[in-house]
Parts: sequence; C-alpha cells; structure tokens
Amino acid sequence: MSVRIKASQRRVRAVFQPKTRTTPTAPSSTSPSTSSTPPIPTTQEKSKRQSSKMQRMGRTVDSGPVSVPDLFCQKPVIRDALETPTSVTQDETVESMVPNLNARAPRLRYNDLGVPRLERQKHVNFLQKTMGPFPSQYLHADASRPWYLYWSLAGLTMLGEDVSSYRERLVETARAMQNDTGGFGGGGKQTPHLATTYAIVLSLALVGGEEAYEAIDRRAMWKWLCALKQPDGGFQVSVGGEEDVRGAYCASVIITLLNIPLDLTTDSPAWTPDGRANLLSGLGDYVRRCQTYEGGISGQPNAEAHGAYAFCALGCLALIGDPREVVPRYLDIPRLIAWLSSRQYAPEGGFSGRTNKLVDGCYSHWVGGCFPLIEACLGPIDDAPSAQPRQDGQTATTPSIDLPAAPETLFSREGLVRYILGCCQNPEKGGLRDKPGKGPDPYHSCYVLAGLSSAQHQWQLASRGEDEPSAAIDDPVWLVLRHLDDVRVYEQEDVVRAIHPVYAIPHKHQQDMRSYFLAKEGF
Amino acid sequence: MPPKGKAAQKPKANDPPPAQPQTQQPPATQATTSPTTPTTIAARSAAFASESRPFESPTTSKPTSISSLPRDAQATWTALRFARSPASRNRLPLKVQREYWKLINESSLPIRALRKNYDYGAAGSYDLATYEAWREKRTLLTCLEVQSRAFRERREREREGVRDISGDKVVVTGEEMDEERERRKEMAGLKRELYGVLGGQLEGDPEWDDVVPIAQEEPEGALATISYPGEYAEAMGYLRAVMIKKEYSARCLRLTETIIEMNPAHYTMWLYRAAILFAMKLPIPDEIEWLNEVSLEHLKNYQIWHHRHLLVDNYYPTIANDAEAVKAFGASEIAFLKQILAEDTKNYHVWSYRSYLVEKLGIWDVPEELSSIEGMINDDVRNNSAWSHRFFLIFSNPAHSTKGVAATERDPAVPAALVDREVAYSQEKIALAPQNQSPWNYLRGVLVKGGRKLGSVEDFVQGFVHELGTESEDVTSSHALDLLAEIYAEKGDKSQAELCLRRLAEKWDRIRSGYWEWRKKCLDTP
Repeated sequence: MSVRIKASQRRVRAVFQPKTRTTPTAPSSTSPSTSSTPPIPTTQEKSKRQSSKMQRMGRTVDSGPVSVPDLFCQKPVIRDALETPTSVTQDETVESMVPNLNARAPRLRYNDLGVPRLERQKHVNFLQKTMGPFPSQYLHADASRPWYLYWSLAGLTMLGEDVSSYRERLVETARAMQNDTGGFGGGGKQTPHLATTYAIVLSLALVGGEEAYEAIDRRAMWKWLCALKQPDGGFQVSVGGEEDVRGAYCASVIITLLNIPLDLTTDSPAWTPDGRANLLSGLGDYVRRCQTYEGGISGQPNAEAHGAYAFCALGCLALIGDPREVVPRYLDIPRLIAWLSSRQYAPEGGFSGRTNKLVDGCYSHWVGGCFPLIEACLGPIDDAPSAQPRQDGQTATTPSIDLPAAPETLFSREGLVRYILGCCQNPEKGGLRDKPGKGPDPYHSCYVLAGLSSAQHQWQLASRGEDEPSAAIDDPVWLVLRHLDDVRVYEQEDVVRAIHPVYAIPHKHQQDMRSYFLAKEGF
Repeated sequence: MPPKGKAAQKPKANDPPPAQPQTQQPPATQATTSPTTPTTIAARSAAFASESRPFESPTTSKPTSISSLPRDAQATWTALRFARSPASRNRLPLKVQREYWKLINESSLPIRALRKNYDYGAAGSYDLATYEAWREKRTLLTCLEVQSRAFRERREREREGVRDISGDKVVVTGEEMDEERERRKEMAGLKRELYGVLGGQLEGDPEWDDVVPIAQEEPEGALATISYPGEYAEAMGYLRAVMIKKEYSARCLRLTETIIEMNPAHYTMWLYRAAILFAMKLPIPDEIEWLNEVSLEHLKNYQIWHHRHLLVDNYYPTIANDAEAVKAFGASEIAFLKQILAEDTKNYHVWSYRSYLVEKLGIWDVPEELSSIEGMINDDVRNNSAWSHRFFLIFSNPAHSTKGVAATERDPAVPAALVDREVAYSQEKIALAPQNQSPWNYLRGVLVKGGRKLGSVEDFVQGFVHELGTESEDVTSSHALDLLAEIYAEKGDKSQAELCLRRLAEKWDRIRSGYWEWRKKCLDTP
C-alpha cells in the first residue's frame, strides 16, 4: 500500500489520465432531457458499461430512458414487519426519494445510467452568495460566521473556482475576529473557539498568500491552545467550554498546519512539573476512550457512536504521527470498519450518522471521509518506522497491523455518487442538501462535495524522506489518485477537486501554508 | 397621530362622509375652503414664501425684470431691492434712504424673503390642525428631555458622591427612578410618533445609563456580515461593554437572557452567563428551572447542555455529602430528561449529558434510570441512543467494571450473571424485529465485554439463517449472517464463514459488498 517516493517527486500528484476501462464520454450530450441532440452512446460503449454493471449488480430496473440497478431503487430484501417510530420515518424518507432514486426527479440532467450531472455552475452561484451579506434572519449564525466562510470557500475550491480574489476581504474579516489572547471567535469580540478558529485557519489556507498567513497571531494562538489543553489529553473548545473529539481534531489541525510549538506553557492545565507533557500528549488515549462498543466514535467518552466524531477521531490520530502506526494503536479497527460500513444504506446509497438514523448528505464526508484514512492504514507496511521516541512522549512500538489491505473499495462508491448527485443537488437555485425536500445550505454543500471527492479519488500514504525540513510533527505524505477501478457512473466533467483526507482542503493549499510556517523562524 | 400621507386622504366633496366622524382626525374645514387656501403646513409655508417674494414668478421662481413692470411697481421693486441688500443701502444718501423706507412702510412689503421649500419632513403633509398637535408633542418631548437630562445629572452626582446645597449627599430615590423609567417610556413613544425612531430598550432604561455601548465594528468589505435587528445590535453593544469590564451583576444576567432569547447559539453568551452565576453565587436550582424552559423551546441547541453540565459541576460539590439531596437532585434531573427525550428521542446532546450526569452523581443503581431506558426501548426498539445508554449504564458502572478498559474490550470484572441477563435481554428484543441492528450490536458488545465466545450464541443466530447456500436459502437478518460468519471464523471453519460473507455480498446486504470482500480477506489473516 505504501509507496516510497523520492524527495524530488514528493509533491502530491493527481493522476487523471484515463485508464483502460474508462471510456471518454461525450459531455452533456448524455443528458436526455436538455440536450437537443439525443444521447447516442455507441452500442459498443453502452453494452460495455451495461454488461459490467449487470455482472456486478445483478438485475437492473428499467425506468424509462435510463436504467438504475435494482439495488439503488428497490426496497431492501430483508424488512421487518414491526413498525416503530424509527421504521416509520425511515420508510417515509425512502418513499419521498422515489423520484430521485428512479432517475425521475425534475430538472436534473441524467445520463444513461440514471446518474444526474453535477450542476457545477449553479452550485458556484449558490456558494458565492453564502458569504454574505446576510439579512437579519441569519441572526442565529452570528456566532458561526467563520464557518460560512470556510464552507463556501472550500465548496467553491472543490468545484474548481479560484478563491484567492477573496484574500483581502477575508484577511480583514479574520483580523476583526481574532482575539488578543489568541484564537478566533465567531465574530468580533466574541470568545475564541476551536471550531471557529479551525474554520478561519482553513479559510486563510484556501485563499493563500503571505498576507493571509501573517494575519494569524501564532504566539497568542500557542498560548491559547495551551490554556485549552486538558490533563486527560483532550482539548476544551473554548476556555470553560466543552471537551470533545471535535476539539481534539480542530486543535490537531491548527497545531500541524501552523507548526505551533508543542511545549506547554506553565499555566496550562495539562502542564506537568517533569515537563514531559506537551500539546499532543494523551490525545490518542483520549480518542480511544471515545470508541464505543459498536465500534464507532462518540463525541465524549460514554456517549453514542456518531459519524461526525468518527471523522474527527481518525483525523486527529492521523495527524499526531504516522496513521498506519497511530490509528491501530488506539482504535479497534475491525469494529470501526464494521460500524462505518453499516452507515451506508440501500437503496439510498448515502450514509447515516448513527445506527438506525436517516441518511444525510453531510455524512458523505463525515463517514465517507473516514474510508480514505482507514484504507491507507490497512495492509502491510513496507518500511516499518524504527523505534524511536515520539513526539507525544511515548516510545513507538513496531506497528502490529495484521489486517489485510482494503479491496478495491471498502464502501459502495457508486451508491454514494448516486446519492450525492441524485438526491443532494438542488436543481433550481443550486447548492447541496441533506436529502430531497430539504433546503440547500453552505454546510451541506461543503461536506457533500467533500464526500464526492472521497468517492472519486483514492489516497495512498508514502513514507517521509530524510531530507524533509524538521517539523514538530512528521508529515505523512498523502498521494491522491483518481479512483478508476470501479465502473464510473458519473461523467468525466463532473469530477471535483481532490482534497487532503485530513484537512479537507486541496493538498496544495495545505502544503503551501504548512511549508510557509515550517520555513519560518520563531513566531 | 395621523400618518404622513394625510393630505392625500382627505375626503372629497362628493364622497360619502366617513362612517365614524369622530375618528379624532382634524376637522374637515380646510378641505372645504376655497382651493387657494393652503391645506397642508408645507403648502402654507410655500404660500407665505411666495407672498414674501412679490417680484418672483411663483411657478418658476425667476425674478421679474424691472423693465417688464408698470411704473408704480417699478418704484416698489427698487425700494425692496434697497431694503433687502444692506450693502447698497449704506451707499445711498440718508435722504434717499428715508424715501425708500417710507415707500416700504406704505406698501407694507415684507422686509425679508422667506425660505422656499421649507423642509418639514414627514410633517409637511399635515394639515394645519394636525401640525399644531404635532408641534405640541414636540414641545412636550423637549420638556421631557430637559427633565431627563436633569435626572441623569443627579445620578452622576450621586455616583460621584457630590453633596447638595444643604450638605447632604445626593441620593436618587427609587421613586425618582420609576418616574424616570416612565418618562423614558413616554419619550420613546413620542420619538416614535414624531420621527419614526425606534428607541432601544436599554437606551431607555436608566439602569444602563452608566454604560457606553460598544458598537460592532466591521472592516470595510467584511465577509459574512449580518444585518442585525436593532434590538440585537443594541443588546450586543451593551454586552461587549460590560464583558470587557468583567462585570458580573444582575443586570448582566438579564442581558444574557435577552440575547439568548434572540440567538441561543451564541456560545459566548452562555459562557459569560455561567461566569456571572458563579461569581455572584446565585442559586443553581433557580437557573436550572429557567434552563428547563429554554431547553424545551430550543430542542436542537447544544450550548444549553454544556451550560447545564457546568451548573452541575458547580452545584454537585455543595450537595455531595448529602445523599438525600443528591438523590432528589438526580430524580428531578431524570424527570426532566424524560420529558425532553419524549420530544426528541434521539437528541445526541441530551443523551451525552445524561451519561455525564449518571457518572457525576453516581446514580448507576437508581432503578428509575434503568427502567426509564427500558421504557424507551419498549416504545421504539430501534432507538439506538437508548441502547447505547443502557450499555454505558451497565458496563461502565464502577461497581462491576474496570476503569480504563476500552468499550470494545473484555472486562474481567463484569459478573457472569449480568452478561447472561443482558444476552437474554438483547435476544428477546432481536426476536421482535430481527433486521434491527441496535440489539445485534448490543449483543456482540455484551459478549465481548463478558469475554464470551461469539459461538456461545450460535444456536440463537442460526434461527435467522435457513439452508444457506441452497436453493431454498432464507435469511431473516443480515446481521445474524454477519455474526454467523464471525462465529465460523472463530471456530476455524473458513469455508462456512466465506459462504456467509459471499451470500451477504451477493444477496442479503449488497451495498456493503466491498466490506464483505475485505472480511473474506481477513479470514486468511490469523
């Protein structure tokens, strides 16, 4: 699984050349409803696509001009007779999706496999408006304005837009939200919070440039992070705020992206007189306490397994060391995979956040985004890291991954793509959503697109070379490739930009920011 | 007060008279007078202005040239020019000046020209009577403002400890405060009527006179700005001012409440509120009572639950030594949690709080807690939150669990009888709806905790899988087939395990075929 690459090549590569099985298709001519020229796939091409489909999926159900595999439009084979509120809601939800599942939703442009086109331009238009100015009905968003910026900028970036033109305005906005004592709040003079700080830092990475990076007061940030660090390894989201896995993930992202020194200030709640504790100590153990009997991860110890926290937990672990070594050490991977895999439902194709809850587009990222991380951790390690003292103060042990490498894919990419393109697009005003019948919003737009990115790409871990500049934390190198081994049900033009599996922004933006701070002396 | 469009609304001559002639509207006298009489105050001013400018065309406002005037009018024209331009006046000999003044006196010409287009604002369209009433109100407002200013000065003196003429310290009585409050209300009402200005709640409250609000400053071109409603913007302005001063007082507590009502997601507000409560040592049960109402109003909000968490952290140490008090507090909390979970049975933050509460208060063995969870599972056997809480309640109980053992690991401290009971419980619930994953996850979790072999439930699991791999194959639960694959693997029966996984991928749970594929590969790994 792991690939060793030379330092000169150690740039993340996106390999987009078509492979044997993918046949280039005519662009929008495959949409039967809007194109003046009817779709004319060559018989050869069509039969090729169909036959591979038939092989894999069994029957297909003919629904007019397009054919949708029965798996994605028929009720599941096993259904219980007992009705409870949960089953009633589940049935109603699937019922409400019937036109979408059968490729008959109005105003979507379907290809001959019953998968709609990505309404790229409409989503761009939508996300350009979700950075304000907002009318007074948006009052409830007053404490989460940085999120609107991150969701919109990340969504636009994944759609292929260049957002650097927002730099100046973003820098000004961010400055007004920065607190003298470190971190960013939801708005001017609000208490700084890890979630809003995470959103601002990533937004600044997305617009890029020295001016954006220099807007961050890293010294104050470091002191503030030390104040949030708890003796049990976790982080409070704000001074006096709650402590949860989300905070642990946001803090790890901020620490690594900004290359924050790991030493604790003496007034940190986690400071120990022996000076051994640092910003990352105990983080793995904290995350471990959040894995539940179901295999998933809860927000804080003793709660229910939840998709959003699974991503945060994995992301956090993937940042504090080599994921192939750290993730298996703290988590029961087979149980986690079993739970993650159970989140995907048929016929919907999308993911739910918890056992017996409904699918929701946002879990395309929270759950879907766990698979690249997990897949990269499976399989034998070519070059086992030597035992040496690690950054969190413990001694590394030889990794004991005796789990087989992932097959072609651990989840149904086709199912996820069908759900995203067929159920999560608002075909009128653009923007993406939870499910049909719900309104689009920037939150869902961002995470649905991130999920699409996960379904369309695959990631591999390469080992770090020796000539890498020394950093507080070693950088595992994530290689991204187009996922081409499956039958591609979406159009070539509908590929979105690949994102870094942990930082959820494109690799280039992550690398540029991190390199900038790695090269910087002192604060 | 009549609205500004008054003049346009006046009844026409042949309209039927209004049904309610006493509708406090000004008498219709103006409406019936001759058309040349001005009907609005603006029109009257315009008429006056034009009267004061005899040598201007009333329509074009252009001055009339002297040559176009008759002879006698030419003399008046010159006289007026003289009277209205002091510079030219002084250049004339006194005798000539006297002549001019005489002429002006005789013709009773206005010495000054009135301003044209005098701006009354909205009041311009009022008829004369209405305008009079309006002016009266304006005068009243001015008087009130003078009184209010006097009050503020008195308060200022009180704060500074100034003594009055008799040598006593200035004291503002409660009566005076009430009067001022009334006065401010009246002033706000008048301002609204006169100018359409909506006065702020806090600006009108003398209690906040000493605070200078800090307005939100947004840089030029800021992103994601919100057009705040006036009330919110005002409250936030005062809040910023008191937060900077770290003021912990009753008025600040009320202010947080006002803002929370408008925007319960404002985490800064909740943290500040908690700080006020603890600094002032206010009774926590009162706050919890208030919070209950807010929680029911905002079911999806999660800041509320962290606030509650902080309250309990603060309150518990004060009752920790009183077992009865802890029990009573636990019971009231559980009662409220029941109420809120009835509204939203899977609310993540409520359940998270619940597990925190159980651990904090040590109410593991309170029978109501377990029975309430059982009740919820009976209501909806698919409620996974309830199953999760049950697992926590039983397997994290310090009486029979080992601290630090992961949830997915065996715990030797768990008694066998407990494992038996929980296995039986989950099996009973599986029987109700075999495709329900919650009790299957629970069952597996219990077996692992108890260190049992998965094979110990093989007979039960086989009950959901019939004649696997044959023509008449039938499976009533894919989760049973999943567990069966693990049981076979545990026994070392690789081919049967493979068969289970293959049938899951082919028929019974196809969406997860990639996963079943991986599980097959796992069979080859020891």
